[in-house]
Amino acid sequence: MPKHIFRLVSLIAGFLAVTIIAIPFLVPDSFYRFGHYRANSVIEIAAQEPVLQTANYCKDCHTERHAQWSASNHKSVTCEICHGTALGHPQKGKLPIPKDAARLCTLCHEAMPGRPRTQPQIQVAQHSSGQQCNVCHNPHSPKIAAALVKVAGNAAAGKRKAADCAACHGEAGISPNDTWPNLAGQHAAYLVRILAAYKSGDQKDVAMTPLAQALGDADIQNLATFYAGLNCKGAAGGKAAGDAAAGKVLAKNCVACHGETGIGSNPAWPNIAGQQPGYLVNVLKAFKAGLRKDPMMAGVSRGLSDTDIANLAAYYAAQNCQSPKQGKAKP
Amino acid sequence: MKKEDSKPTLEARRAFLAKLGGAASCAGVVVGAATLGVVPAIAAKTGAPPDAGSFPTKDYDWTKHQWGFGVDATKCIGCLRCVEACKNENEVPRNAHQFRTWVERYVHLEGEEAVRIDSQQDPVNIQASGSEKEFRFANRYKDAKVDKAFFVPKLCNHCAHPACVQVCPVGATYKTEDGVVLIDHDYCIGCRYCVQACPYGARYFNEEKGVSDKCTWCYHRITKGLQPACVEVCPVGARIFGDQKDKQSPISLFIRNNRVQVLRPESGNAPNVFYVGIDKEVN
Repeated sequence: MPKHIFRLVSLIAGFLAVTIIAIPFLVPDSFYRFGHYRANSVIEIAAQEPVLQTANYCKDCHTERHAQWSASNHKSVTCEICHGTALGHPQKGKLPIPKDAARLCTLCHEAMPGRPRTQPQIQVAQHSSGQQCNVCHNPHSPKIAAALVKVAGNAAAGKRKAADCAACHGEAGISPNDTWPNLAGQHAAYLVRILAAYKSGDQKDVAMTPLAQALGDADIQNLATFYAGLNCKGAAGGKAAGDAAAGKVLAKNCVACHGETGIGSNPAWPNIAGQQPGYLVNVLKAFKAGLRKDPMMAGVSRGLSDTDIANLAAYYAAQNCQSPKQGKAKP
Repeated sequence: MKKEDSKPTLEARRAFLAKLGGAASCAGVVVGAATLGVVPAIAAKTGAPPDAGSFPTKDYDWTKHQWGFGVDATKCIGCLRCVEACKNENEVPRNAHQFRTWVERYVHLEGEEAVRIDSQQDPVNIQASGSEKEFRFANRYKDAKVDKAFFVPKLCNHCAHPACVQVCPVGATYKTEDGVVLIDHDYCIGCRYCVQACPYGARYFNEEKGVSDKCTWCYHRITKGLQPACVEVCPVGARIFGDQKDKQSPISLFIRNNRVQVLRPESGNAPNVFYVGIDKEVN
């Protein structure tokens, strides 16, 4: 073989040999296991830890909230959308409670071209006059439970039936006892809702439950119409133990639904101006303890101490139940 | 050649070249075969555990799944919680320009021929959100006469024939057995060919890590039996995810019960994200 050919061939052979020996060292582990890529990278990616933990992760500790949320029409809005990702919680501390609810809620609920009609939307400027959404809506169960009930009863028939109620609530709907509520001038829709709740068992009371169970639907309508038509003039604030001035400060949290002086804006929510202070205290404590169920009231009463409750009761009991209606007739 | 003087010189040369070529290609085949033979042998030796058992994790066998994604644009409300969740889940840079998934808004105004399209990088939307780190659609058309408007979530289409995989010079991006296109961040050299190649703009370049990045359908979640983060948080069910091998999975039902379409079918990538309720302008 001519010398120059030998040199060329040996050079090529040497180059090939080096290449073949080097390849296994240069190609990473698992590279051709499934194809032209590192199979181990699939394992590495699959092994990453999920950050979003899903609502099931929250369930065990926040049982009550979880139950309320999962029964509500917000159940498709998972915990971590509002509270942030739960990886590392609770070990690394608390998750935030959103401060600016209005900003958060409007991400989905601001009326905007392009949003499907089925999505509940509001004109932000007209809806709440700048108030935070969670003043009226419970974010965990945002539908306002007390949907307006239509009341079309017969006051005269209601009056006959009301004879059974007079012993406790007074003949004119003004209770003689501090612990029983005045009914005169109360919103009819609210009365219907509460009587229906006693009847169905949603709300329980030793005295009221059997009485309400004996009532027909028409009776409830008639009674509500009768009491709503009465004058609450005689309602006496009475001897309240709390400090009404301190209660007025706290009452800022109640204004949105119950009005500044206890005259509610929505007929589905009760007027509480001039109500019996003892009754108000009992009701608030019942909400706080979960004996009376209402998603909104459960939320606002949770943070109240016994003194706060007494002060609030004193403030509202001292208000005039006939003060000019501030609330509009419609919600 | 000297012996065959009868043959014209040109023909002889041609014959010689043909022989040489044949010999060269034979040698090439031999060497190539040897190389290919050696590499898998070595790789198998040093590689992950043997093929017995499931891959890539103990509880998850990728041969048993074929993932698919559905988008029902008629349900999307443009709340961008999917974008937020995706950024949190996948360490996507917190800015209004790099996304693994994003949402576009298409608006036809009365009397206008062209459709107006905006997304998170639009300055008006950045201003509405307050910063580039939060996401919100500005209510910019509330006083306009809107003929038609809708939102369209976008993400990687995990194509059956992905152009991005084809152009990768180093094998850093690939299609898995269960139908997901992944990126090997350790092996990516950051050349950005794939970013250019994707017809959907689904990839972005992560300057921090020096690699290309894109949606993985949350591969680390779906292999653990969870939903991708964006599907998990979508409050209106506009995003549907599931196994196309399971005929009762959400995605199979979605494809069966709807008239679905894919984006840019003419590109030949055969996407695996199926859309309902979008116009021809969406691509």
